[in-house]
Amino acid sequence: MKMHRLNKFIIILVFLFGSSVETIDAQDSIVVAPTTLSVKYFLPVNHVPYLEVSTKRKVGRKFEAVKNVTVIIYFNEALPGNLLGKVFTDSVGKARIGLAPSFKNTWDSLNEFKFLAQSGSSAVQEMLSAEITIKKALLTVDTTSVDGVRRVIGELKEKSGNSWVAVKDVDMQLSIKRMLGNLSVGDEANYTSDSTGLSSAEFKKDSIPGNEKGDITLVAKVDDNDTYGTLVVEKTVNWGSAIRPPVDFFAQRTLWSTRFRTPIWLLYVAYSIVIGVWGTIIYLVFQLIKIKKLGTEAG
Amino acid sequence: MENLPGLSDQQITNDLLPQKFGRRGMLWTAGLIVICCVGAFAYIKQLREGLIVTNMGDYVSWGIYISNFVFFVAVSLVGSLITAIFRLSGVPWRTPLTRIAEIIAVSNITFAALIIVVDMGRPDRIYYLLTHGRIQSPILWDVIVISTYFILSLFLLYITLIPDVRMMISLKDKLGKPFSNLYKWMASFWEGTPAQEKIRDRSITILCITIVPVAFCIHTVTSWLFATTYRPGWDSSNFGAYFVSGAFLVGAGAVVVAMFVFRRVYKLEKYITEFHFDKMGKITVMLALLYLYFNVNEFLVPAFKMKKEEKDYLNGLFTGDYSVMFWFAIMVGMIFPILILVFKKGRKPLPMFIVGVMVVVGAWFKRYLIVTPTLLHPFLPKYDSPARFSHYFPSWEEWAITIGSMAGVLLIITFFVRVFPIISIYKTLEDKNEITKLSEEIDQYENAQA
Repeated sequence: MKMHRLNKFIIILVFLFGSSVETIDAQDSIVVAPTTLSVKYFLPVNHVPYLEVSTKRKVGRKFEAVKNVTVIIYFNEALPGNLLGKVFTDSVGKARIGLAPSFKNTWDSLNEFKFLAQSGSSAVQEMLSAEITIKKALLTVDTTSVDGVRRVIGELKEKSGNSWVAVKDVDMQLSIKRMLGNLSVGDEANYTSDSTGLSSAEFKKDSIPGNEKGDITLVAKVDDNDTYGTLVVEKTVNWGSAIRPPVDFFAQRTLWSTRFRTPIWLLYVAYSIVIGVWGTIIYLVFQLIKIKKLGTEAG
Repeated sequence: MENLPGLSDQQITNDLLPQKFGRRGMLWTAGLIVICCVGAFAYIKQLREGLIVTNMGDYVSWGIYISNFVFFVAVSLVGSLITAIFRLSGVPWRTPLTRIAEIIAVSNITFAALIIVVDMGRPDRIYYLLTHGRIQSPILWDVIVISTYFILSLFLLYITLIPDVRMMISLKDKLGKPFSNLYKWMASFWEGTPAQEKIRDRSITILCITIVPVAFCIHTVTSWLFATTYRPGWDSSNFGAYFVSGAFLVGAGAVVVAMFVFRRVYKLEKYITEFHFDKMGKITVMLALLYLYFNVNEFLVPAFKMKKEEKDYLNGLFTGDYSVMFWFAIMVGMIFPILILVFKKGRKPLPMFIVGVMVVVGAWFKRYLIVTPTLLHPFLPKYDSPARFSHYFPSWEEWAITIGSMAGVLLIITFFVRVFPIISIYKTLEDKNEITKLSEEIDQYENAQA
């Protein structure tokens, strides 16, 4: 009887669990959140800044890119004279626009500026808007070498009045540029700037391969900061080990070499077979000629 | 063969001489020409617009063309089986089958070579292949071995034809003019002197000895086109033997089909007898068992291990998208033929014909399965590619060219049969004389014993 009751409870629990899972699944499949628009600021190597807008929405538990959205971007105020341009989000829901040269004077005169992004509205899409306020900042990267200890130093300053002042407590990455990403120069992923705006890391990747001269590229990056956006600077130093492709790699006689570097054994084998078989064919042709000759003589 | 002593030389000659097409023959030929023309039209379209007209992509870069190429190469192997191996091993009943096998070999190897050019897209690439080819590449080996096998097969076909063609020159009145110049060009020098006979016989023996390893090479090298690349399903040391055994099977199947058709259409029952079907049936069942054995090796071992990289590919074959085609090829191409052919009644002409068709059709699908599913499952993950690259179904142009090439093979055989005897008259008469002589000797011996 006890067992019977226990079984009943198990069945009810399984049923309830199954129903709740189904309910969650059902909710996941139907909930589609409205599209959101965001705007990010990038300043690569202290050069021309650009903005990246992205449109996405949450479908179930995942974010999904929304493509083909028209976004109008303004500098400081949404006025026709401040129009930076119009962009369309691509298949991953992103679009980029650089700061046009006509805004240089405005840009130089300001220490803090705002970007506004607005999308048009339609029957299927409400008007979206986003804005970002950025303080003008300057990121530099340098190196020191004292008693054989090499350090990479990043320095962040912001514009205040007419001068640049150090910025503290900002995380930055100090890394080495590699083919598929950046590799931190030390053990940490991020280094925080001190009261002088400096952050430093000991360079521990002594034997890292560089180019043919041993040059590597150091990268300092403030990544997606709320106040300064994304800033990136690079510096090339001769701290890597020189990589020289083996000079005789393609000169070897291998199966993957050029046709002029075929392995000798393969040449012998291949040509022996070809000469053997085609020699036989030529011999047979002569036999045929002989048959013909004999026929002519007999005729 | 047992009927030969009862037939006069005249009757044998009359029975085996090429015949004009009747109404059915004309319709058949016209049908094949139309199919070839559609194929040619599709090929011209491909030449003008490029390989974009095909449904091949970054992953399935070898589609139905290469499947068809492997199929043709496989069928062409039969020339060496029937002519060379039977001759070298002294099989006495081979005469009615040898020329059928030879023309099947020549026609198939011709279109195997052509289909490669089709697959290249631009035919001028052949020139660059020859001028810039690397001897390290199995592709160049394949080009060399295919051209060599083509020449050898053509040579073998020609040299065995000479006495028959010479005979046909003298029968000009009966055969009419259409091909008399061709016959004269081919064999007017043949007088049948002992010296000529001796050289011809020796040449045929040398050809047969040469053609066997070349035939093995052609299909082994074709298998290496696949096996020397690192892909699921192709990364196998079993591939050479697997391909050669499969080729022998489909070749035997093709010969059986051709035997039945020629026997029926040209009323050759006295020459291609039930005895020949029985013998070919036994050979086919042996070859089917052999090929089945290699298939078990080829699929059971990887399936037992089920390596992560090969799992999708194998599941696709066993239970997935290609499972219907896979099991069809295994059952229809091997299991059913074995079950039918182990019984004597299954080796009668009609069941043999059905089995032959099953073997050939199964073999074509088997070649498709060797090429396409593997290419759809590369070891490296697919990245940033259009969705259509994950599927492959040939475009109408690919189908038209493929079916056109098959029609081309049949057209070569059809024209050959119209111009030349499909069974050697000369050899049949020789066989008849030998059997008669042997019978007389046996009679004399029995009389002496009595």
